[in-house]
Amino acid sequence: MSQLSEEQLDQIVAVERSRAQEPLNEWRTIAARAREEGLIRQEIGQRWSGQPWMQAAAAVLLLVGGIAIGRTTLGLPTANQTQAVAATATSTSRPAASTQTDAPAGFNFASVDEASTALDRAVREYQTASQYLAANNVSVRTRDSAAIYTARAAALDKIVNATESALQTAPHDPVINQYYLATMGARAATEQLVARPVALRGF
Amino acid sequence: MPFDQLDLKRAIAGDERAMQRLWSQHAPHIDAVVRRLCGDPELAADISQEVWMQIFRALPSYRGDSQFGTWAHRIAVNRTLNALRKIRRIAKLEIEIEDDSAITENDSDRTFVAESIDQAMGKLSPGARAVFVLHDVEGYTHIEIGEELGITPGGSKSQLFKARAKLRKLLAHLVDESSTVAGKGNGHVAAL
Repeated sequence: MSQLSEEQLDQIVAVERSRAQEPLNEWRTIAARAREEGLIRQEIGQRWSGQPWMQAAAAVLLLVGGIAIGRTTLGLPTANQTQAVAATATSTSRPAASTQTDAPAGFNFASVDEASTALDRAVREYQTASQYLAANNVSVRTRDSAAIYTARAAALDKIVNATESALQTAPHDPVINQYYLATMGARAATEQLVARPVALRGF
Repeated sequence: MPFDQLDLKRAIAGDERAMQRLWSQHAPHIDAVVRRLCGDPELAADISQEVWMQIFRALPSYRGDSQFGTWAHRIAVNRTLNALRKIRRIAKLEIEIEDDSAITENDSDRTFVAESIDQAMGKLSPGARAVFVLHDVEGYTHIEIGEELGITPGGSKSQLFKARAKLRKLLAHLVDESSTVAGKGNGHVAAL
């Protein structure tokens, strides 16, 4: 009976070693097992989408992020700057009352309903103001090129990745959640800026 | 798409997409090792599931000291060999000596001889197949094989010698068929 030489067998083995082979199972089979063992966790998108309060919080942060970006782009003073100016003015006119103006605005609400009403009003005002500025403000900074917003969006994508990763480490941590949602809001606002014609950027 | 550190962190945290990327990238090689060691495709598929579960369970312990593929490959080999031991397929590994008389020589049996290396390896004893796969295909040293299988390096060499001798006979028809077409003595193996 004939047989292969050692070299011929080595050739066959080399072919075998380099031969691409299909996986033995489909991913869904592996995933089902992993899910049973708790190795796969519910996706972040699904986790958040099932919680209305978190959706509301995301909307608020989207709003805040959009306002901040819009103001920055327009060169308008930010909320902090406005507060600082107001505090300076107040301290000039009424030095004794300056400490009260530094208190967070939320402390002025008497109830959750009152805060919710104020929030709804702010959303409506924001939308109205955005529409007005988009239609009437032509003195935007034309030097803000699409490249700036694109770069910002790319940078925000990295932050989103980082915060997503952090969220998986501490899924119920409110601080991490806040960072994540704020970043998502800022990214969404930036994407709007990227998509918007140059003359309309800056809200 | 390369599997980067961020993907690894996500997979550890249970992100299915990251885990799937890891699996997609490494399953062809990992599963091939399992298949070669098992011989039986159905058994290999079952063991492959266990291997991947073990890889995912052990992800947090991966420190990046070696390539991820190398690390996962080790798990695959260990898990597969353990599974095979459990079903007593290589229980007689240390004492089993290949009996050449068991090799099918006659024409009727020869019709069942594998036409590929996969099938030919299936004709080897589990122990000899493990040594052959680990040494010749996966590049393990005899010392490493000895540690994996609990045998001496000398035992590993002996098993390899016998495995190769058997495979040279089992696969001889590839040369015979090639010679019939292209003429004898060309010294090359027909394409598998």
